[in-house]
Amino acid sequence: MEEDADPSDFSAKSRAQSSAPIPSALHPTRRLLVRLGFWGLLAGLVFGSVSCGRSDKDTLAQIKQRGVVRYGSDKEGGGPYAFPDPDAPRNVTGFEVELMRELGRDLGAKPEFSQGQWDRLLQELSADQVDLVINGYEWTESRARDYLATRPYYVFQLQLLSRRDGPIHSWEDLKHPNPAGRPWTVGILVSSAADTFATEQGGSSLQVVHFDGATDAMTAVKNGQCDATLQDLPAALFYKDRYPALEFAGKPVGHGYYVIFTRRGDGPLRDALDRGINRLIESGSLRRLYERYGIWTDAQNELTDWTGAAFALKGQSGPTGLALLWRYRTSLFDAARVTVILSVVSMPLAMLIGLLIALGRLYGPRPVQRVLATYVELLRGTPLMLQLYVLFYLLRLPPWVAGIGGLAINYSAYEAEIYRAGLQAIPSGQMEAALALGMSRWLALRRVIVPQAVRIVIPPVTNDFIALFKDTSICSVITLVELTKQYSILANSTGGVLEFAVATAVLYMAMSLPLSWFSRWSERRFEAMGSKGVLA
Amino acid sequence: MIEVCDLHKRHGNFDVLRGVNLTVKRGEVAAIIGPSGSGKSTFLRCLNGLESFHQGQVSIQELTFGAETPLPIRARILRQVCQRVGMVFQSFNLFPHRSVLQNVTEGPIFVLGLARDLAEERARKLLDQVGLADKIHAMPRQLSGGQQQRVAIARALAMQPAAMLFDEPTSALDPRMTGEVLAVMTDLARNGLTMIVVTHAMRFARQASQTIHVFGEGRIIESGTPEQIFEAPRLEATRLLLNEAQAA
Ligand SMILES: Nc1ncnc2c1ncn2[C@@H]1O[C@H](COP(=O)(O)OP(=O)(O)OP(=O)(O)O)[C@@H](O)[C@H]1O
Ligand SMILES: [Mg+2]
Repeated sequence: MEEDADPSDFSAKSRAQSSAPIPSALHPTRRLLVRLGFWGLLAGLVFGSVSCGRSDKDTLAQIKQRGVVRYGSDKEGGGPYAFPDPDAPRNVTGFEVELMRELGRDLGAKPEFSQGQWDRLLQELSADQVDLVINGYEWTESRARDYLATRPYYVFQLQLLSRRDGPIHSWEDLKHPNPAGRPWTVGILVSSAADTFATEQGGSSLQVVHFDGATDAMTAVKNGQCDATLQDLPAALFYKDRYPALEFAGKPVGHGYYVIFTRRGDGPLRDALDRGINRLIESGSLRRLYERYGIWTDAQNELTDWTGAAFALKGQSGPTGLALLWRYRTSLFDAARVTVILSVVSMPLAMLIGLLIALGRLYGPRPVQRVLATYVELLRGTPLMLQLYVLFYLLRLPPWVAGIGGLAINYSAYEAEIYRAGLQAIPSGQMEAALALGMSRWLALRRVIVPQAVRIVIPPVTNDFIALFKDTSICSVITLVELTKQYSILANSTGGVLEFAVATAVLYMAMSLPLSWFSRWSERRFEAMGSKGVLA
Repeated sequence: MIEVCDLHKRHGNFDVLRGVNLTVKRGEVAAIIGPSGSGKSTFLRCLNGLESFHQGQVSIQELTFGAETPLPIRARILRQVCQRVGMVFQSFNLFPHRSVLQNVTEGPIFVLGLARDLAEERARKLLDQVGLADKIHAMPRQLSGGQQQRVAIARALAMQPAAMLFDEPTSALDPRMTGEVLAVMTDLARNGLTMIVVTHAMRFARQASQTIHVFGEGRIIESGTPEQIFEAPRLEATRLLLNEAQAA
């Protein structure tokens, strides 16, 4: 069924391509449209972000009216904060979930959990997707500048975890050089408090490897892909039984406060939350809650005599605008380089593998055809992210190998189908005429069939190149910090959401526009070849 | 020089060819006529390996292959056959991405290994011979059907074949263009090229061929000189066929 569906789908595309040879008179208009689109995108980003951290409406009044308070959180690897209830996996539970249930009473509203990716939660808050964010978010100066923070509801510390049989048994061990001659690798939840701590206190013998989830980092340590992981203590306590190969390496380090964030204009909401947290601390129910989760520590006594002094904004606000971008330019360019390398290495591989698959499916023996058809269906039928997980966590390949290999293999399936359709689009009379001239099948393919197929497949293949180029961002799940990930990290740590969004968009455009130009240029070139006959 | 012995061919359980025997001598022009679906094209395509067959044997010059010849050996023989026997198709099948000249030089350069300038010289001569000297740099799609078919003939001749197979070379053309293609073919026939021509063009069959074979239901049902076939057909089927052709 697939075999019938695909070529027709393809021919529709190629018809659209070939029926629209672009008269050069149209070009200025086209370019104008591209520009308009680009500036429209920028304008959208600007207006979208101007409202960042602010709110014209009284969210508290809205919450009361709705009777529902929506809070942003991430239940993926989210124990004990918020995680799927083991007894009823469709429900979410956790100490923050229960805390919100209590606070809901103070707000006169039913709490509603809203799932989001952890390092994007504050952006969802800015975009009005949720009313507040509560998910082990540490109070930091830069966050306090862009959002309103409640008083802390938990005093956290950081716990280092390492393999029992490994060389690391305390935070101090990481300060000694690694005998292997490379830095120690420490897996860390991106943009978490541990991220800041490790980057600032870690020194040169330590290299931070970013993960999207707390448990991903623990798995990587278990697999030996990282030397250790630095986790917020509650997460470490919660998951330690699930990772018997790991040990608590030394005493907890660091110290910080979990707070709830609201938008800047939502003073009334923040104050209501403060009153609620206060009530729970004084009544002792907060302590009982934490004891139930096994996360009560002596450090929590600080909550009782909270003055707010720790939250004074000390230094002046950091740079903004171009100055901010300038300061982080190398991080951006490094990440852009990762994106480029991932795409320009994996795409040619994908094209080569794809061509072999297509030829095998069309001209190979039956069993080979069947195996290749399964290969194509398997890869097209499963998400790229899953394939990357398999390569990285199950086969334990190094991140670059898994990233490039995963992209190449995934896209090879799509390229194979494009080539197959392109080859099949050539009338059978062409092969017959070539064979009748005494050509071998291989020579006929090389001189007659493939050159005709090439011009059909160039536009869709270029199209796929652009798609792959953007799919490189999925490689962030296997610790490669490419452009999108870097944007997220920088926007989170500096609060410069707008600046980095624009810079990232500009970088992506700067990299993908040449591809589009190449596509149009090659289309035109082949069009010209068709009429002048200069095809070699 | 071409000898076909008891050729059988099936598609599924439909017998397309049911024992075809045919001999064509050097320099002979053999015309094949017959109703649609009687297996004429299939027969022709069996001769140069575009189709396989289930039983029988084909000899072309000293090259012999049969249904029992093992595949790798048969493939090698057929490549040689194709180098010595040219084929012209009903639908021309020129290579659309190459110019007229390149279409004609493609075989000599890449199959025979001829130097490019020699191949081009040969191609120019042949294109001149088929009356297309001025179209050398045109692309196939810029030519009329008759012109395309003449390029296709030149392309086949460029391999300097010992024999040529024509499968209804004029059926896709309107009458005016039919004339120009048949003129070229008549020329070739006069120069003594061995040819097998499947055709509905009865006048050409009558004037240019030495033998006419009538196909019916996968067999040759009647053979003879043009005079015998046209003046005194033995079978009713042949008479009907000729009448139909005349009416058309
Ligand atoms: N691939 C195929 N599968 C099934 N049957 C086929 C196939 N190719 C040809 N045939 C059948 O074989 C028979 C002979 O076909 P062929 O093309 O040789 O006839 P023909 O004499 O050349 O007819 P025409 O004058 O219309 O060209 C036809 O009945 C056709 O339907
Ligand atoms: Mg036919």
